[in-house]
Formats: sequence, structure tokens, C-alpha cells
Amino acid sequence: MPWEEAAPERDPAAPLVLAEDGPHGPVIHAANDAAQSFGAARGGRVTDLRGLCPDVVVEPADLAGDAKALERLALWSRRWCPWSATDGADGVVLDTTGSDHLWRGERGMLTDMDTRITALGQSVQLAVAPTHGAAWALARYGAGQDMCSPADLAGRLALLPVAALRLDGPTLLTLRRLGLKRIGDLAALPRATLERRFGRDGKTMLTPLRRLDQALGKLPEPIISPAPPRRYHVLKRLPEAVMDPQPWLPDMMATLCADLARDGRGARAITLALYRVDGITRQFHAGTARPSRDAAHLRRLLEKHFEQLDAGFGFDTLALEATRTDTQDAAQTRLDGGADAEVALATLVDRLSARLGAAAVQVPAPRDSHMPDRAEAWAPALQRIGKGRLADTLAPAGLGGGGLVAPPRERPLRLLQSPERIDVLYAVPEGPPIRFKWRRKPYLIRKHQGPERIAPEWWRAPAHARLRDYYKVEVEEGARYWLFREGVAGDGRGAEPDWFLHGIFP
Amino acid sequence: MPDAPLTPDKRSLDPGDGFVPNPPAPFIELGVTTCFSFLYGASEAVDLVLAAWKMGYHAIGVADRNSMAGVVRMHAEAKVAKMRPLIGTRIVLVDGTTFLAYPKDRAAYGRLCALISKGRMATPEGDWQEKGRCDLTLDDVAAHQAGLILILVPAEDIAGLTADLPRLVARLPSLTHVAVAHLYRGDDTARIEQLDRLAGQHGLRIVATNDVHYHAPERRPLQDVMTCIREKVKLVEAGFHLHANAERYLKPPEEMIRLFARWPHAIRQSLVLAKQIDFSLEELRYEYPRDDVPEGCSPDDHLRILTEDGAARRYPDGVPPKVRKALEKEYAFIRERDLARYFITIHEIVSQGRKLDILCQGRGSAANSAVCYCLWITSVDPNQHDVLFERFLSADRDEPPDIDVDFEHERREEVIQHIYNRYGRDHAGLCATVIHYRPRMAIREVGKVMGLSEDVITAMAKTVWGSWGRSVGDMHLEETGLNLRDPHLRRVIRLTDQLIGMPRHLGQHVGGFVLTEHPLTQTVPIGNGAMPDRTFIEWDKDDIDALGIFKMDVLALGMLTCIRKSFDLLRAHKDVTLTLATTPKEDPVTYEMLQKGDSLGVFQVESRAQMAMLPKLKPKEFYDLVIQVAIVRPGPIQGDMVHPYLKRRRAGETGETIDYPRPAPPHDRDELKKILGRTLGVPIFQEQAMKIALVAAEFSGAEANQLRKAMATFRAKGKVSDHKARMVERMVERGYERDFAARCFSQIEGFGEYGFP
Repeated sequence: MPWEEAAPERDPAAPLVLAEDGPHGPVIHAANDAAQSFGAARGGRVTDLRGLCPDVVVEPADLAGDAKALERLALWSRRWCPWSATDGADGVVLDTTGSDHLWRGERGMLTDMDTRITALGQSVQLAVAPTHGAAWALARYGAGQDMCSPADLAGRLALLPVAALRLDGPTLLTLRRLGLKRIGDLAALPRATLERRFGRDGKTMLTPLRRLDQALGKLPEPIISPAPPRRYHVLKRLPEAVMDPQPWLPDMMATLCADLARDGRGARAITLALYRVDGITRQFHAGTARPSRDAAHLRRLLEKHFEQLDAGFGFDTLALEATRTDTQDAAQTRLDGGADAEVALATLVDRLSARLGAAAVQVPAPRDSHMPDRAEAWAPALQRIGKGRLADTLAPAGLGGGGLVAPPRERPLRLLQSPERIDVLYAVPEGPPIRFKWRRKPYLIRKHQGPERIAPEWWRAPAHARLRDYYKVEVEEGARYWLFREGVAGDGRGAEPDWFLHGIFP
Repeated sequence: MPDAPLTPDKRSLDPGDGFVPNPPAPFIELGVTTCFSFLYGASEAVDLVLAAWKMGYHAIGVADRNSMAGVVRMHAEAKVAKMRPLIGTRIVLVDGTTFLAYPKDRAAYGRLCALISKGRMATPEGDWQEKGRCDLTLDDVAAHQAGLILILVPAEDIAGLTADLPRLVARLPSLTHVAVAHLYRGDDTARIEQLDRLAGQHGLRIVATNDVHYHAPERRPLQDVMTCIREKVKLVEAGFHLHANAERYLKPPEEMIRLFARWPHAIRQSLVLAKQIDFSLEELRYEYPRDDVPEGCSPDDHLRILTEDGAARRYPDGVPPKVRKALEKEYAFIRERDLARYFITIHEIVSQGRKLDILCQGRGSAANSAVCYCLWITSVDPNQHDVLFERFLSADRDEPPDIDVDFEHERREEVIQHIYNRYGRDHAGLCATVIHYRPRMAIREVGKVMGLSEDVITAMAKTVWGSWGRSVGDMHLEETGLNLRDPHLRRVIRLTDQLIGMPRHLGQHVGGFVLTEHPLTQTVPIGNGAMPDRTFIEWDKDDIDALGIFKMDVLALGMLTCIRKSFDLLRAHKDVTLTLATTPKEDPVTYEMLQKGDSLGVFQVESRAQMAMLPKLKPKEFYDLVIQVAIVRPGPIQGDMVHPYLKRRRAGETGETIDYPRPAPPHDRDELKKILGRTLGVPIFQEQAMKIALVAAEFSGAEANQLRKAMATFRAKGKVSDHKARMVERMVERGYERDFAARCFSQIEGFGEYGFP
């Protein structure tokens, strides 16, 4: 059951494979029907397939995403019974004991499963059996929608290939070499021999004998069903439709925040769904920069949406959910009663973002680049604030990505948006500046430091880009400026170099 | 046997290019990082030395990161350019403290090698070190510092250094200098002043260097790409991993003096340091293991005893005069070149193989000799075959001898273990093989760093034919349908071209053994291999050759195992006991099978091309097979020698005589017949081509050697045409027809493309 989610715009008839990294280059993780017709099989080399079918489309497999989706599917399948778990990378196991009668028997349950999973756009192989092992075997090697009663368990299993016993590759290879093809062949052997042959390599639970016992129900194999993730969800059904749901919000929010506080968590994103009596649903979302369980604050984030609310014939159900939560430790308020600046800033960012849109509120973010103009980027404040200490994120030469520290070079506090051309008197070719004229005012330089040479980023700059020699200068009046000369005379990239003023030191 | 060499031709300077020694320059660059600091330096020794020579340097240092892998190249190139190489290394400790270390003499060099070996073989905790890593601590350096010149390379943070320096000075009496560099950081003047003062406070001096990572500023893009490959980041995300500018190139002495005008003593100190260094890699030359020769006996005498003893067994009826003559000639040559120990050592290993009943067979330039036959190293009887010892004898070939010994592939490990036991692990080691970037790998890595998508990279990499391309020119990028005029793609291609041929990492050579007199770790650093319990030295076989250290290839040949098993089967089932020497020769039934092309599974003649040739050539004797193997190769095929040979051979059967071109009367009329007689007038072997040049065109030994080298170097097309003019003119002068002479040379050129140098 490859867990593929092909993009809808893609031609379904074109060969497509998902690839994962193997020790000697990518190997096929899954293939669609078209690719399979060319001979693509799981575990094969992508290079080989390219030889057979040159225009095959190869996409990287998202194994972690698949596992997550499977977990969700396992939880979703609790609609049929309360006890389910994922089984390997491509299966879900359900303990349906005592649940099948709700679906008019096992046959009815299988039909319902098939219909619903097919409706999700997935193909599925189903089987019901008295043991986990047998169900695994019949789902993969059986005739399709197999049902097996305890009485004919051994008989049914005997006809299946040994691969149906959930064994690993080397063991299967050994069994094939021994000529044991079907489970029946294996079951016919004396148990002691089997134990002697396979029981020694430390894989005590994965030997053919153990697997056989598990499939036949002679060894217990409990299914561990994970608890569903905690949802922070408050539902309020109103006795009759109301035009303004706001009066009910404080209560709901208080309940939600109490829930969060009990688990030591705070909301990063909340959603309020309003159900109108005519069947139309309105959903409002809000995000926070830091986890929060401050009911008043969260409620304020949603406020804007009520200003232009089309209530129609009124709302009869309200649902409030914290869709994303983070751990939030309880914090002590300061003795002097002052508020923590970081919390205050985060609160401000939340409210501004809620009102103006997350993209409209931005903070500068350091970027790893030697070029001063590129050393700073703007990022949405909601994502930047609250990540680590505020001082780190806002410091001009703070930690960049990858934990690499920028070389400690002094940068001006004010950097002009675009460098301004100036006339400079300097010793040709590489001498320091002596005087310059900026915005029609002459300056005499008293002191200078430099040059700091910064070469263009050749991979993005045009080939004729010139390097910059930055000088820190102090003029007679005491003000300090950051000048640079673009290029060096004779670098073959243009005429005489030009000078620019790029920044002002405090 | 692959026709293309397993390693690409090393680019090197040509001694013929007229290098004159530079007068002493006022400055010597000591902080040179070559491309053997894998993925740090972006220039090869050739480029660095050539650039330095042009700038007027008379000496140049080399200091790769915790490695000596690149020093031999630097040494060899500098020698060619008549410059003095200063051999050192850049010691980088686990805590990031960096030194330049230059040994003052041979003993200190040995200690430095031992220091690197320690870091490469064991972790600071004493566990097995993983391949390619070198972890050193201050204690290690302190233990090996005697005789070294240590130059501290200060880190970015001077405040930290101020706190650290007293500790370092106390631990390291050899620490005498602090390296200062003017890299256009903005605060260079202040920084150097600070360092100068700090050094003075601790009794140290500053020495100028430019922290050279490449020979010219144009190499910065390649260095940036290498940094990204090393750090596994994309170029656009690399940020501060990269250097801010392109100033770390080799600057001319005048420029360095200008930059350090305020600190002339820093410039002067580089000369002072160079004066203290009294070590050259030449001191490692010809180290043969001593203990094979008994006390009180010179190696030459011992070799004579061993050879005569073997000759008596080889020729129970007395040594034939032809062999006797050859032996005497070879003795004299071996004595002159002081090679007796070499033969004795090989004899020792081969006879041990015999004792263990392992089939073995020697080959290589020096193996074609009567001495080797009498020492039982080879089984080619010089009385029956013309041995080509001349190939090795030519005194112009000033290269160490070369004997490869093949052993049964299943039992080679026993021989290796014997060598380790006999000479000790500290005297015997495996060579490294330098793994270079090949076009396919290079385009992959550059493409990834430059942010090309996986399928574009794959499409580009697919256009490489075979795996031994030497440049982007060998790729067929237009086939990808990409727009090759796109500036970004053009950058990728240009960088790929520069990256191809750069060393990538060291691998383990298949069987090249080095044996030394001093402990091996004091001759060359040893590192751990990826295989457990395997160690190999940092130099590859070219380096070993360049230094003239004893080397022997212990190779594994599956066919020898096959023969051994055949002998066993014969003995078991047919009760026939055979050895390599007693196998019946010239068996007509065998030749009949071969003439039919029925040679499946027969070594050397089992390929499709060989099988197709067998019925045409119809071998009747052993020498026919020698020709058969030699002729089905790209060289003779491209030189169009196959059909003339087959024609002559058929003509010979019908009794026609072959008409050899002759020179004008004063010269020997039959000179070509003597050379080409055995191959019916068609030059098939390279020796023959060289002999034509020597005899018919009267090349001197040195000229012939140059021709051979020119043929071997792929890029030296221009030089080959010089030789062509010379050879053709001389042959015409001596009365040959111009047409014939030109054809002769084009045949030599055919070898040049594919032959063995």
C-alpha cells in the first residue's frame, strides 16, 4: 500500500516514482501504475528505471510525512473500533473484537471500510483474522477482503508464502534456499529444528517459529493503541440562534485557557468556528508569537472579525479550538509588578498582526552575508519574535543561521537605503580618502580606518560587479561616516572607481 | 589492463621550459595552503610554483592542514623551477589553535610526521581514529616540538589570544613567531600593531604571511565552491563560511613589502626563518631496508651470490654465454645505480611466496632482466626471449626501478602479512591513491552547491562518456538541451572545469608497498584506512617515485589462482604434476584451439576484440601471442598498424620478402630490419618506436626521453609537433623518404594517445 499523494495537476498516466536514498544512489520507494508497467518495483534502482523508461518523473519520497499520515489514518479508523495502531510503514491494525456487530458483522465492517477509504482516494487491502499476524498475512497475500474464522486459521495460513510471516530479508533468503516456500512447509517441520536453526541470532521474537506461533495465536501479541492527541476544543450549542455570539466567548475562552493551563501549554494558533442556522460556517483564525493562555489577550485577537460579521439568521453553535499549542511554563509575575518586556512585545506583535495581517508586521532578521546591504532581511514578526531571546534576534551582528558567528566588524548604526555618490579626493590608486563632498557640503577627513575589502557575491552579481573598499572616517566636526570606493583602478571592470557614502556612525 | 591510466596525468612543469633561478627575494611566503588541504586550498602545486617563480620568489613554503600529502608535489615542482621548497605543515588542534610548523632538520621532520601520524591513527582518547580525520592536542604538539619552528596563526579574537598566549609560550619553547596577515579586514593596521605588541611582550616576533589559499584572485570562486562542498551548504546560504574577499592569493614580494611598510621586521623574519630550515625531502631518497643483507657483505656482492646461486639452478648445464653477458652488463648497471638492495628485497619477498607455495610472477620495467630470471622473480628465460632490460637500463631514465609482483589473489593477504611481520608495521606501509575529481563527480558537486536541481545535474552528468574524462571538453553538454549561454550555467561549467583534477581525498592503493629504513612514521605521516586495521601513508606512488623511496607493488591476480587450482586438479585427477616452469611449451593443440578463436576464459585473449583477431592472426608460437595482445589496443589500431601487420604476415607465408626502408649509403642499410624484424616491419611495441627515433633519427637519449614524456602528456600537443619536425628532418637527412618518416612519426603519435609511458 504505497502511500502516495500525487499532485492533482499531474497526468496520472505518466510514469512516476517516489525515490528514497539508498547506499548506492536513489532507490524506488513507490511507483504508479504507468511506472510499474515499465518494470518499476519497490527497492529497484532509479538509475535502472531511467534506462528502461527515460521520461519517468522522480520525486523524493516523504517518509516522515507518510508516517504522520498513517498515524492520522490510524486515529481516524477508530470510527470502527476503539483500539487501533499503525502497523509497520504501510499498515493499520484494528482490534475489532466486540465491535463488528455495530457494522452488521465483519463483512459489513469490511465493506464500510473499503467504501470510506476508497472515498479518501486511497487503495486498500483488508482482511479480518483471529490474530494480528494472520490478518497481516491475509491482507497482503490473501484473496482480498478475506475473513478467516479461528477454525480454519491454520489451514488458510498453510497455503500462504513464508513471506507472509513478517520475516526480515536474510531469514527469507535462508528459507528460500532451504526450499521452504509456504507456511505449511514450515509448520510441518519439528519445532526443535526450527528453533535450533533460527533461534540463535538474537532476534528472539522475529524467528519463523515465533512468528508462526503469533500468527496461529499460540503466542500473545497485544496491540498497543496510542492515546489520541489531546485536543483543546470547546463547543457551545446555543438553545436558540443569536445574532451576536460575543457574550459567550469569555466563558469559552476561559474554559479553553483552563484546559491549556492544566497541561502547561499555551496556544500558538486559535480558530473560532461559527455555525449559522442556514448551514454556513464562518471560521476565524489568529496566531500568537509566543504561546499564550491569556483569555483576554486571545479574545482580543479575534475581536476584529466581529466588526463586520454577517450573522444572517443567527448562529446556533460556536466552536473554539487551539489548533497549535506549545509548552508554556508558568511564569512568576515580577515583585515590582512590572510586566516582562518580551511578553509585552509579543502581545503587541500578536495584536498588530491580528489587525493588519501577519505579512504586514515585520522585524529585521540578520542574514549571513558579507555584503552590508544584504546582511539584513525582513521577516514576519509573528515567526521571529519569541524564538529564543529577543536580544539575539534583534542584535545587528548576532547569531546568524547555522550557528555561525559573523566576523566582528563594526557596522554603522544607520545604513543608507542606497549608497549615495560622493566626490572624494584620495591618493590614487588605493590610498585612503582625504576629503569628500556629500549633499553639496564639503567634509575634511581627520581620521580614517580601513580599507575593509568586500568582494561582490560572484554567484549572484553580474560579471562586471566591482569590489568595495570600505573606510571608516571621522570628519573635522567629529561626525563619523562609512564610505566606500567601488572598484580599484585597473581592475578591468570600468573607468575610475566611484566613491559612495553608505552609512553614518553614531 | 586498462588502457587509460588509473590516475590522470599529473600536470607538472617541464624542465625544458627554461627556468632560471630567481635572485633571493626579500620575502618568502610560508603560509601556503595547497589543494592537498582537501577542500581548503584551491590551487595545485604547479600553479603556485609557477606563479611564485614569475613573481620573483626564490623559495616557497608549503603548509597543508595536518598533512604532508601535498609536499612532494610542491618539492618536485619547485625543484623544476629552480626554487627552494620549504616543507612544513599547518597544525590545527582540536580546539582550533593553529600553528605553522616547519622542521629545521631531518630529525625534526620525522617528529612532525610522527605527530601527524598520531593524530591520524588515534583519537585523543586513544581509540581508532576514523579515516580522514586528524585530532591533535596541545600535549601532542608539546611532545613533538623539538627542532620545529612553530608560528602561531592568531584566531579572529585577539582578546582570547591575549589570555591564551602565556600558556602556549610556557608549553611550547619552539613557538617563536606569530603570523600576521594583511587581509583587508578593515582593522588590519590596528590588529597587526596589537599582535606585534603582544608578541613582543612574550618574546616572540611577528612574521608576515598572506594566508595563501590560491595562486591568483581568480580562484576565489573555486575556493568558495570548495568551502561549500566541505561544509555541505549551498552557495547562497553559505554566508560567513566564505571569505569576504579574494585577497588570500599569492602576492608578489613587492606588494607584501608595501602592505607591511609599517612592519619591515615582519617581512625580514620570513627570511630569518627560511635560513633556519635545513631540511629537504631529498634526504629521504633511496631508503632500502637494510636487514636483508648479511653482516660484512656488500649488497652488490650479496646480490651476485644470490643470482649465481639461482642461475646454477636455472641452468644446470652451465649458464649460456648470452645470459652470462647480459648478467655482467646488468651487474655493472645495478652497481652504478646502487640498486642491489632493491633486487635483494624483492627476492626475499618472492622466495617467501614460493616457500608458502603461492604462485607469483614479476613484471615491470626492471623485471625484464636476466638477474630477475636468475633470482626466480620472473619466468621469462633471457636465453630464449629478448629481454628488454634496456628499457630500464637507459641511464637517462632517472627513475627508480619498478617491479610489480602478482600473487594468487586468494593468498595475497598472506604475503602482505609476511611483509608486515618481516619488516614491521613501522617500516612497511601501503601507498595512498589520490582520488581526484572526475567530470561526473565534479559537475554533481558544483551543480549542487550552485543550486541546480537534481534532474538538471543528472542530465549534465549523464553526458560524460566513460569515467576518465579530463576536462569539461570531454563532456557533451550540448546534448542536455540546456541553454549553455545562460550565465549561471556558464559559471557552473567553468567551475566544474577548474574542479576536475583537484584531489578529493586519499584512498588506499591496491598493493603498493613502501619499505623504509627509518621507522615509516618518521618519513611520512600515516593515516587510518576505511578498512579495519589498515593504515596507509599520505603519499601516492608518483610521490614515492619522485622521492625514490623503495616501492613494490604486491598485486593480486585471479588468473594465478586459476592456474594453481588447475595444477591441483591435474594432480588429483590425472596424476600429472606440473609447475609454471615445467608446463609444456608451444603445445600445438593449444595453438590450434587459439587459432579457431576458442579462447573463452583464457587470460589476456578472452575479450571479444581479441577473440575476433585470433582467427585472423593465427598464432603459431608464443611470440605471436605477445604481438596479438599488443596489437589489439587502441594505439596500434589508431596508428593503423593492424592491417599492414596482417598483410605482411600473410605475405610472409607465401614467401614474399619484406622491403624495409633503408637509409642512404654511409649508414647501416639494415638498421630498421634489426629493429622491426620480429614484428615484420611494423612498429607495434613502444620500445620499437623509441628505437626508431634513437637509431633512424639519431635522437640522443635525453631527446628520446623527452619525446616519451611528450607522448605521455595529453596536454602537451604543441611539444609533440616540435619533435615531429626534428625527427622527420633527421630521417630525411639520413636518406629516408619524407613520406615514410612522417608515417613513422604518426605511428608514434598513435602510441601517444593510448600507449604506456
